[in-house]
Amino acid sequence: MLSSLWEQTINLTLFVILLRMMPPILLGALGGLMTDRAGVINIGIEGLMLVSAFTSIAAGSATGSWIIGIAAGVLAAMVVSYAMAFFSLKMNVDIIVTGFAVNIFGAGITVLMMSILYDSHGNYVPEHPVSIPNIVIPFLDQIPFIGKLLSGHNLMVWISILAVVFCYFLLYHTPYGTHLRATGEEPSAARSLGISVVRIQYSALVWSGFFAGLAGSYLSMGMTSMFVRDMTAGTGFLALAVVIFGNRNPFGILAGSAVFALATAMTMIIETTPGNVIPSQFIKMVPYIVTIVALVVYAIRKHRKTLFT
Amino acid sequence: MNQRSAVYLDLLGILLAIVAALVIGILVIFLVSDEPVAALQALLIEPFTTLFSFGSILNRMIPLVFTGLAIVVVFQSGVFSMGAEGQLYIGALTGALAAVYLPEMSPWVHIPLVILAALIGGALYGFLPGLLKAYFKADEIVSTLMFNFIATLFVSYLLNYVFKAPDSGGFARLPFIQESARLGPIFDGFPTHAGFLLALLAALAVYLLLYKTKTGYELRTVGKNPLFAEYGGIKPKKVLILSIVISGALAGLGGTVEVIGLHGTLKDNFSAGLGFDGIIVSLLARNHPIAVLLSAFFYAYLQVGGQIMQANSDVPRDLAIIIQALLVIFVSSQAIFAYLKQRKLMSSRGGERVAK
Repeated sequence: MLSSLWEQTINLTLFVILLRMMPPILLGALGGLMTDRAGVINIGIEGLMLVSAFTSIAAGSATGSWIIGIAAGVLAAMVVSYAMAFFSLKMNVDIIVTGFAVNIFGAGITVLMMSILYDSHGNYVPEHPVSIPNIVIPFLDQIPFIGKLLSGHNLMVWISILAVVFCYFLLYHTPYGTHLRATGEEPSAARSLGISVVRIQYSALVWSGFFAGLAGSYLSMGMTSMFVRDMTAGTGFLALAVVIFGNRNPFGILAGSAVFALATAMTMIIETTPGNVIPSQFIKMVPYIVTIVALVVYAIRKHRKTLFT
Repeated sequence: MNQRSAVYLDLLGILLAIVAALVIGILVIFLVSDEPVAALQALLIEPFTTLFSFGSILNRMIPLVFTGLAIVVVFQSGVFSMGAEGQLYIGALTGALAAVYLPEMSPWVHIPLVILAALIGGALYGFLPGLLKAYFKADEIVSTLMFNFIATLFVSYLLNYVFKAPDSGGFARLPFIQESARLGPIFDGFPTHAGFLLALLAALAVYLLLYKTKTGYELRTVGKNPLFAEYGGIKPKKVLILSIVISGALAGLGGTVEVIGLHGTLKDNFSAGLGFDGIIVSLLARNHPIAVLLSAFFYAYLQVGGQIMQANSDVPRDLAIIIQALLVIFVSSQAIFAYLKQRKLMSSRGGERVAK
């Protein structure tokens, strides 16, 4: 069994599956990062993703254009996240409760719409599916190793990696990013410096809708060509874990998403390998355990001075 | 404003929130359905029309009371644990193992032992994130979410590889529990099982604990104002761990009651979010243990109504889920309550604005 895993590592199958699995986790985590750094942690990523996954495949297959699909999905997730912001910042609903409600809402509204529009409760497979294209790089894809390494990946893989760079610049090299981080660190201090804390937090939540929207459209139009009820299956929560795991930093989050995607990819390979002896549950467990360890390490580093006193 | 009228205003606000969520739900039904009257009747009235459907509301309500109470205890103590789902699985596991594998004995001994096993299992699983929070300040929201995944996977592993009943095929489960561990119906011919009585007892116990004991006072004080509590000599670490341990025990018992009352065995992925439903139930009840009984009943009523509606009309049961999401948001919209209170204050003082 190990030899088969080794083989698939060498011929890059593992790497290819890893890249396929990574965008939803990575984009979701970037959405979580923006809110986390602004001090309004959004646990509703899961619900936002579902809303976008359904909207994008519905709009995409109706118009025949994956671009319109993505745009519709992202827009829908941003509208819902704006509503989140309204309820938590204006109506004083606790942000955790708001996120929680969005998760329930996302699960409910998508299935409701699916049964109204397509008369199905379980899944929706469009007659003429549209998908986000794979990027085949000419000439490069002919080269044995490098071809498989770089060519043929889904467009969203590249977008998600670009999004990491984008978030890094936004957070660390723009005045907006500085204000956002200040708001998250110490809202009262930010307010006394004239930063509009509520506006920053509004925008952070809408950013999380944007990234969760991208993640959702990839779920239904990239990774698969269908919508399945509750198809996020915990990805949104995983994304929150990755934020912690990646030390609340865009590049850390890239590494964290890769680790989580690796665990998923290995589970898939090991489950399909004949003569498998390792229960898949244990491999699936690893990222969660690592996250708890990371959480503890992060907390110890942050509170080193006040801890153990 | 005195305390009594504050409570009435709160109740008024909750009623308004429920009405608003239902009205939106009804509007949606009229919008999407060709037979809105039949759908409404199925959703709102039919759950009460047969003994069977009323009994299944009560059956649905039982685990929700337990997980709701579990959340009440942590939220009142200012701990944002999302871990009821995982604690429910571990409690269901330890309870189910006791129900299946203990040697034959009288139900009067066996059932209490099973309950004890469930309480211990759930409590221990609550203890872990409590410890991490108390001594390492590891954020309990994320850690409990992770512990949920680990518990579900761990139980799934044990069911598939270690304790799998030989005749269970593709849907892994434990062997069936012994008759002496089974909770029968409350009375003959009624579908609700005796776990209902346990749920009532648990609500009473949590009420007494929170409002009539010193420990409960400490929990609530830490929840309201941790600095004041510490200044007053309450140990916040002890309170934090205690609250999440009690919460875990309650959730664990909820899991086991499902096993010995409803399913008769422990199945893979049997819960499907009962622990998260408990958060809704607790929020609707404004984190009050007795009110949890009402909100769990209402929640179960919506679920059963949703199912009947799906069977008897063209509206899917997911509409009920949307009503639940709206309820959570509306009931928690403190701005509305603040507004109501402000108005009350203003009118009681002849309309002049009052500070505060």
